[in-house]
Amino acid sequence: MAEQKWPDKYPIEGRRGRKYGTVAAMKVAPMVKAAIGGAVEAKRQGKAVAYCFIESIYDEIIRAMDIVPMWTENYAGICGAKRDAQRFIDKADSLGFSRSLCTYATCGLGFDAWREELGEMPPNAPWGGQVKPDVMLSSGQIICDPRNKWYQACQQFMPDVPVYNCAALWPLYEDDLDRHDVEAYYVKYITEDLRGLVRFLEEHLHRKMDWERLWEVIKLADETTDLHVECRELRKAVPTPMDTGDAMNTMVAQCFLMGTREAYDFFKELRDELKYKVEHKLGVVPEEKYRLIWPGGLPSWFALTDFNYFWSKGAVFPVESTYHELVYSTKDLDLPQTDDPLEHLAWKWIRRQTYWWDKAKKRPGSEPDVEKLITWIEEYKIDGVVIHEAYSCRSWHVGLLWQVNQLSKIYRPIPVLTLKGGKKEVVYRELPSLVLESDMIDISSYSEAETRAKIDAFIETLESIKSRRVEV
Amino acid sequence: MENTAVRGLAVVDKLYQDYGCRARELKNQGRRVLGYLCALTPVEIITAAGFSPFRLKGSVHEPIIKADAHMETIVCPLIRSCFDLALKGRYDFLDGIVIPHSCDSLTRSYSTIRYTLGLPYSHFVNIPHSTKDISLEFLKAELDTFRRSLGRFVRREITDEDLVRSIQLHNENRAKVKELYELRKPEPPLMSGAEVIRTLVAAMSLPVEESSQLLSSVIEEVKGREKKLSGSPRIMVIGAQIDDDAFIRLIEESGANVVADSVCVGSREYFPEAKTTVSPLEALAERYLRGVNCPRTYREFTGPTYQDDLEARFGHIGRAIREFQVDGVILYILKYCDPFGFEVPARMKYLESLNVPVLHLEDEYSMASIARLRTRIQAFLEMIAK
Repeated sequence: MAEQKWPDKYPIEGRRGRKYGTVAAMKVAPMVKAAIGGAVEAKRQGKAVAYCFIESIYDEIIRAMDIVPMWTENYAGICGAKRDAQRFIDKADSLGFSRSLCTYATCGLGFDAWREELGEMPPNAPWGGQVKPDVMLSSGQIICDPRNKWYQACQQFMPDVPVYNCAALWPLYEDDLDRHDVEAYYVKYITEDLRGLVRFLEEHLHRKMDWERLWEVIKLADETTDLHVECRELRKAVPTPMDTGDAMNTMVAQCFLMGTREAYDFFKELRDELKYKVEHKLGVVPEEKYRLIWPGGLPSWFALTDFNYFWSKGAVFPVESTYHELVYSTKDLDLPQTDDPLEHLAWKWIRRQTYWWDKAKKRPGSEPDVEKLITWIEEYKIDGVVIHEAYSCRSWHVGLLWQVNQLSKIYRPIPVLTLKGGKKEVVYRELPSLVLESDMIDISSYSEAETRAKIDAFIETLESIKSRRVEV
Repeated sequence: MENTAVRGLAVVDKLYQDYGCRARELKNQGRRVLGYLCALTPVEIITAAGFSPFRLKGSVHEPIIKADAHMETIVCPLIRSCFDLALKGRYDFLDGIVIPHSCDSLTRSYSTIRYTLGLPYSHFVNIPHSTKDISLEFLKAELDTFRRSLGRFVRREITDEDLVRSIQLHNENRAKVKELYELRKPEPPLMSGAEVIRTLVAAMSLPVEESSQLLSSVIEEVKGREKKLSGSPRIMVIGAQIDDDAFIRLIEESGANVVADSVCVGSREYFPEAKTTVSPLEALAERYLRGVNCPRTYREFTGPTYQDDLEARFGHIGRAIREFQVDGVILYILKYCDPFGFEVPARMKYLESLNVPVLHLEDEYSMASIARLRTRIQAFLEMIAK
């Protein structure tokens, strides 16, 4: 594969793996270390630490109240990426937690049980370990049973740590339902429940909410999201300046640091880098052949180099759904005006979750998740779909198969005559899909040889489809 | 089937073996049938709208063939089996389907199920995870959304009076099930566990009035029995859903009597009644949020100690163990069941605190996997016998 002429502005010297990845993404690892290690240090200094789930609904609240989050799913992800999750999963297994449960959770539960038994961190805990929290903030969403049950299960080892289970429901799409008919009672419920959360934090952590500060944090978070949306838009360029391999790193700024100046600055820097690369046609790979979409689901954190393998075949992922479920600019959400910051958060939550409803209504048989994919497939000029079915996670992976089946009804292997730039073109709208099977962190479920053989076969399919495209 | 013929265990066996036969008959007679999954579906609203509620069941005897083309294999095997039977045309009499927000497997499969089956009506009832007062208020509004949606489908308003009548009918039905469970209390019990599960499964395929008639006739028949069961260890089964007698028969063929349960279809869903002293929507919200004790609903830590919390969450199990004089408990968990899976250590800890022997089994909802459990069950029963 030919090399690209690369500017000094974004140096690639000495890089391994993702040679043309963003410079911004390279800064993520230290950010993660600081976030995880920061929680350990914060606890040592007597600061309040909370077990939290990313992309819940309370990021701005905990930031405004100076609570240090310990992102438990992501700590498990780090253990997985370091290929050191197995011993914690085994520990949970020995306690009676099924192997079929979410391995993020079983890794975390195993870690906690071990730490509480020892009275100190388990030996050689990755990046300093997962510190015992002062409170745990569950997330009673419409999906993800582990987010509802995990911290309750933790209380077996830490009965002295109180749990608040946040209400974070959203309506499921129905053909006969207008979202505006139900969103008011959803918003009322979530707002009041968030008020309960603030009371809970004030009571257990002995501090008062500064409502002015909460508004400031919300404003900063909304501006950060706007920058993130800009980044996603810039990735539409051909060649794409950033792909999913990087996005699985840059998610850290959105998910771990939302509501902080650090996150804002990160996305500003990333936006500027992407702008430059688009202007100078600098792509993720020297010769972009195939553009793929990752429609949802979690990656195998221990095998992110699989993205590099796609790159080696000239395949890139300009867009992914994972970690973008909530990335919509508040300007596009048409949020009702309110003086209540908690109500603002509730509206933002509901409007983001129902963002694709109106579009789905226009296509009988569609639904929001499918409509989102169709939109992105068109806008990002996508050639194929790659899904990863993580065996232990029903929350984000069940339903992907059906979504791909729905797409196959639209993108069929039949020739369609189109007019492009004044020229007639026969386009085959076929959109092949690849299903990879493994887990987020359980490496015992993964076979590199099998995965790469599947990728090879998929690339051959893409090539075959591409070769059938004939201009007339 | 004439209503007068809805009698006794012989009818139970017919309804159980040819599951859905009565619903098909009703459909042919012009009655509408609405399918549902899970004990959290507010069946009272379905009945109030004039439908015959019909609970989908799976089959441990049939391999899953058609479902896997549409649904991931990491979905709860019972739900996959229900969906598979529906795809095979076993439930082709349904006018629609209602699915509640119970667990990830069901929630995430809602789109797959409703689009693939292509039924005229479908609805998802969103049930909060916590039991707070504000959750109750939310659920009232959500149940009202369901009522209005179903009303649009049948082109008539479902009134509070309709709901009150329906609640009364379903409460009577639940009282019959409680009466049926009384027959399990004597030693030896008057009725086997396999007979009970078959009766409850048969009953869930009928309109509520017929279901109550069937239960009455079974109670009457069993009370008049002369032949008694043998005295054997008395077992309680705890788990998510059991809608097939295979597992219960396996326990009883191994030398025990299953006398109590905390499962669906069973005491978990039938014992809580809806209040008749408050508005119907409030009564239903209260019943489905706080009454049906399913682990998918988070119950706030009551403290002050962890043991107090366990008592608040699982105290009903301890009471059943005492009332039904249980000698041993089998904690029967389906693979990929997240709500129960996260509670296994806590439930084990609670049961151990009661000094009751416990066997924890994980199963895959198939005859092949159930048969593999035989040796462990036999060993457990031998241990109890000592």
